[in-house]
Amino acid sequence: MPQIITEQNLRNLIDLLVKEAKLVVGPKLSGSVVLYEPLTAGSDLTLDALPRRSSKELFFPICEDILSYKRENGSMKVTDVDRSQFPEAVLIGAPPCDAGSPAILDAVMSWDYKDEFYLERRRKSTIVGIACTKGDDACFCRAVGLAPDAEAGSDLFLTPLKDGSYACKAVTEKGEALVAAHRNLFAEGAGGDPVPFVDQGVGKLDLVKIKKWLEEHFEDPLWEKIADICVGCGACAFICPACHCFDINDEGSTDDGVRRKHWDACGFAKFTNHASGHNPRDVQNKRYRNRIMHKFKYYDGKFGKTLCTGCGRCIRACPVGIDIAEILETINSKQD
Amino acid sequence: MNAKANKNHVTSIEPAYYQAVTEAIRKEAVKILKDETVVGVVGYLPGRRQGTASPALVTTVEEAEKLIFSPACVNNLSVYLTKAKKGVLKQGKVGIVAKGCDMRALAGLMTESQLQREDLFIIGVVCPGVYGFGVERTGTLTEANIARKCRECTVHMPEGADVAAGTHTELADLTPEEAEEMARIEAMPQAERWAFWKEHFSRCIRCMACRQVCPFCYCEQCLCDKNRPQAVESSPRPAGNMAWHLVRAMHLAGRCGGCAECERVCPMDIPLNLLNRRMAKELKELYDFEAGLAPVDKGPLNQYKEDDDQSFIK
Repeated sequence: MPQIITEQNLRNLIDLLVKEAKLVVGPKLSGSVVLYEPLTAGSDLTLDALPRRSSKELFFPICEDILSYKRENGSMKVTDVDRSQFPEAVLIGAPPCDAGSPAILDAVMSWDYKDEFYLERRRKSTIVGIACTKGDDACFCRAVGLAPDAEAGSDLFLTPLKDGSYACKAVTEKGEALVAAHRNLFAEGAGGDPVPFVDQGVGKLDLVKIKKWLEEHFEDPLWEKIADICVGCGACAFICPACHCFDINDEGSTDDGVRRKHWDACGFAKFTNHASGHNPRDVQNKRYRNRIMHKFKYYDGKFGKTLCTGCGRCIRACPVGIDIAEILETINSKQD
Repeated sequence: MNAKANKNHVTSIEPAYYQAVTEAIRKEAVKILKDETVVGVVGYLPGRRQGTASPALVTTVEEAEKLIFSPACVNNLSVYLTKAKKGVLKQGKVGIVAKGCDMRALAGLMTESQLQREDLFIIGVVCPGVYGFGVERTGTLTEANIARKCRECTVHMPEGADVAAGTHTELADLTPEEAEEMARIEAMPQAERWAFWKEHFSRCIRCMACRQVCPFCYCEQCLCDKNRPQAVESSPRPAGNMAWHLVRAMHLAGRCGGCAECERVCPMDIPLNLLNRRMAKELKELYDFEAGLAPVDKGPLNQYKEDDDQSFIK
């Protein structure tokens, strides 16, 4: 039986989850920007704007300690981070372009090496996705196989209705459990008309064709043309829901410090710099090519998924206006 | 020329003005490419999305005929002459489209021997202003969508260009938001000021976009990339973030031309240009120096004079 939840009850749900000592993360106004941040009450939730950074950081924090070390009586003592202390979490109010990202990242995080920091957070989290009714001409989720109402990645999926309430669909057992535990907040019924979706500026792309072109064009003038203007910052990667490269640094002194895992980006000049001094991606066009190849060829080849959710953040934020949707359209329209 | 002298009461800059500038840029770019004065022109091309533009290096007449100037032409293109486009200058003289604020960067780069005037053909733009971040991009520029830095612009008329595209025009009676914000912060007690910046820097994700778009961040080896030994923590945490932004502010003192690109590109809305403006104010007060108004032999912070003010040593 379909269910609905009123906006007030959605906020009440957040209040209850906070009381249950869950970590509740959702879009919240932080200074002048909306970010996914811990909500302290239902009133914190804002669904007016796509948060500036994606929700991947709930699983893959911008920076996290992985161990600490201290020299004591001449010997080094190393202490692991106790992952069992990670909190039970509920991500609430993520549109499909964000809610869908962990479903993509699970593959690489549990592949040859199991990233227990990411996986432990995933196990302990429930994702409440929400159909997207905002969007602008940078959005292209449809082009990469998602949609404003795609449920992929969500445990519970909400669809905004014209009367201000939300139609709810439990997509997974985690979603069912969340509803079951707070049954009184949900009402049975199909609900009214959904709020319509916004048109996107980019049509459906043939991702198979794009992948094939990429396979055959490791060398192509296109890469130089795009990278001509790329300034080599990490803005696109850092705010991307699917980019997951990280670096590990020991910070502190030789006697006392912390080993930290933090975001890294393929745009940076030193991203692949070897200890020898050799850098296989020594110029920007090789680095930008890698970005596109990783998202639309390598990841698909290895895991059968496209490493892009079409959120459009990289397009909006690129300091020099590099438009990944336009690049994909260009490749899509190529005959050879 | 002081653009404020003949200020009229214009409340919007219509698309026709930008179109006229566009025509002038195209004409000049085509000419200098045709007569082989330059090997390429760094300018702007329209973006896919309505009301957007991207930097571009055009090398053919066909491409040059597509160049545009609109309120979406926000970038300071001089960055392409110092970093990304190092190879271009080696091939010969390069043309560049430059607004007044970009001209200041070019002058600063000449001061620092990063560019030679004779290697450049500068198509100056008489610029009434560009869009701010996240505004409505209608083609018409008004108080509602103009960038913060443009509200207090003193260089609408580019000085020292080879040609100028456009005629004098600017919006009247703009509120100087940056100056007001700086005054507000300066009036805060020190602890409160510290808290203000701490809060802003806590959001920094260390994407380095501020560094990468800055014409003056051309160091081959940035202190922040150094990890043996690590000079500044490279992880995006409060201590390293604070260190990075303070290092940057100090390093740019007396050099920053005020293009505010660092602030424009910050995905986390950190008001970085306030730091730049503050340092510029110090330089003005201490040395009566403003960076980038014209190339000089040496800036005040890279020379020593016997009569330098020593009062800060306590």
